[in-house]
Amino acid sequence: MSQRPKVICVTGGKGGTGKTLVAVNLAIMFKNDGYKVLLIDGDVENPNTYLLLGGSLENKTEVPFFIPKIIEDKCTKCGLCAQNCAPHALLHIPDAFPIPILAVCSGCKLCYKICPEEAIEADSKVIGWTYSTRVNDLSLFIGELKPTEARSATIVEDLLEDLDDIIEKEPDKFDIVVLDTAPGAHCDVEHLIKKADFVIPVTEPTKFGKLDLIRIIDLILLLKKDYRAIVNRSSLLGFRDEFLKELKEKKITVLGDIPLDDEIVNSYCQGIPLMEKNSDFDKNGAGYVAFKKLFANLKEWIQLNSDKNTGGK
Amino acid sequence: MERKLIGVISGKGGVGKTSLVASLASIANMDPEINSIVLDCDVDAPNLSLILPPEPEYQIKTQETFTTLKATFLEDKCINCKQCIDDHFCEFNALSWDEDNQIPILDYLACEGCGACKVLCPEHAFEVNPVKSGEIISYKTQIGLMLVYGITKLGSTTSGKLVSDCKMFAKGLEEFSESNLIIIDGPPGIGCPVIATVSGLDYIITICEPTPSGLHDVMRAIEVVREFKIPFGIIINKSDLKSPFQDKFKKFIDDTGYDILGRIPFDLSIPKAMSFAEPVVDHAPDSRASLAIKDIYNNLKKILWDHQEN
Repeated sequence: MSQRPKVICVTGGKGGTGKTLVAVNLAIMFKNDGYKVLLIDGDVENPNTYLLLGGSLENKTEVPFFIPKIIEDKCTKCGLCAQNCAPHALLHIPDAFPIPILAVCSGCKLCYKICPEEAIEADSKVIGWTYSTRVNDLSLFIGELKPTEARSATIVEDLLEDLDDIIEKEPDKFDIVVLDTAPGAHCDVEHLIKKADFVIPVTEPTKFGKLDLIRIIDLILLLKKDYRAIVNRSSLLGFRDEFLKELKEKKITVLGDIPLDDEIVNSYCQGIPLMEKNSDFDKNGAGYVAFKKLFANLKEWIQLNSDKNTGGK
Repeated sequence: MERKLIGVISGKGGVGKTSLVASLASIANMDPEINSIVLDCDVDAPNLSLILPPEPEYQIKTQETFTTLKATFLEDKCINCKQCIDDHFCEFNALSWDEDNQIPILDYLACEGCGACKVLCPEHAFEVNPVKSGEIISYKTQIGLMLVYGITKLGSTTSGKLVSDCKMFAKGLEEFSESNLIIIDGPPGIGCPVIATVSGLDYIITICEPTPSGLHDVMRAIEVVREFKIPFGIIINKSDLKSPFQDKFKKFIDDTGYDILGRIPFDLSIPKAMSFAEPVVDHAPDSRASLAIKDIYNNLKKILWDHQEN
């Protein structure tokens, strides 16, 4: 029986909690164990996975986005397009051609579809790029929003379509897919969580961390997914035990925690993942040991060795 | 003094936006020349209210916003023609086909409320209505100044719009007319909510840390700010972080020639202050970080009001 890959989404609500650190090192540990791994960087506003992996951006593909092009020869200036444009992305002044306001266009193409004169053509502009590369024996897909563009969700959708394609045509190509998300709880993050079988929100032991964790868990549950949280920088100022206790009281399930460790900072600044098996990092270091333990817990949770996951609630 | 609107963004999250804004707000609040209002426009994860709680007994105002549009499907009007699917009415994949019942299924979360289905369906079997997109909360803080923040309703998809609504709301406050400094805590990233945050501001603080992703992300944020032609200055947080990347970072920043508004050294008094939910300049006024932030505030005042040269 061919099995589709298990999809794990690393997210977090708050920024800078260590989402990318966790996503990259989980992917590396799966690879170390011989699994075929695809890492997808869905933080398209600020993709950083390749920096942590010491990789580069390759196989660039443009992501186009609809723009309405008014064909003045055909346009009768009737204004129907502007009347029906929900985000008011077409300005119609009587007896003038409609003026597209691209910054607010949602790309719904309604104007193009309803123009009785076929005076609107579906043109496009580039709003970002996707990349695919292989680094450290991992396959890596990256999405990048072009700075000054707003429609980040379109880039995320593009990445996820590529994933759907692979799962449909070559379900055996990967055993594990790891998704890295942006901070926040907006549509980009939603799209990625929706695609996952298992969700890992990463937090830190601060009041901000806790508040944002609760919010992202609300979103995860709204999307009917199962989750386990990771507490990063857990040794910060001795907050660990109290923080874990608070999470327990809120009935938040925790996969494990990662203490502060200079080796983590070093690995990150050198672009060599901490858990890369050929690296020189201290295999008895606090960060290394913590990741090993997390990984064991994760494998147990997602039941990697059995045929079918029963992860959902 | 002329009113100035400033914002703090970073690209990368978790590099100190909110900590900085809380401290700047506290200093501004003590400054007799300044009348300030603070906005938290990180509407996906607003945290500033934790450090700037309301004055006891102050009536917190909550206003719901209904700027998000969502479609609803009217089954009694549907004649099962499937044209909505066959002609691909929806560009956002919010419509799929229920083979058993021969009707479309509408994915509420995916719907962008564009109204294409409503306009295109020959039987008028779709409707589009505003739904609750979030809340704007405002109150007088314990330290005295007004705080306004937005929080999205999960799944409502319109963070950028709520940011604009928050800014509009603040401009409608009674206190706004007397204010001369509006400080906005921005969202991470460079997308829609960040663009909505920076548009129309007088000055932007871009804060970063000396790490590869800190540098990469702040440069992307600066690209957005430059496109809007807004003056900006860089703050380097954890500026003395022990890291093999420091030299590269310094060279890169120096080569850009961008203004450095200030440097905040790595100082445990910042996370400590956060654990007490206090601005660091109040919690540990003589700490290295607090002194650095006070310098930054003074620099900022000079840039905003002394003379307008670039």
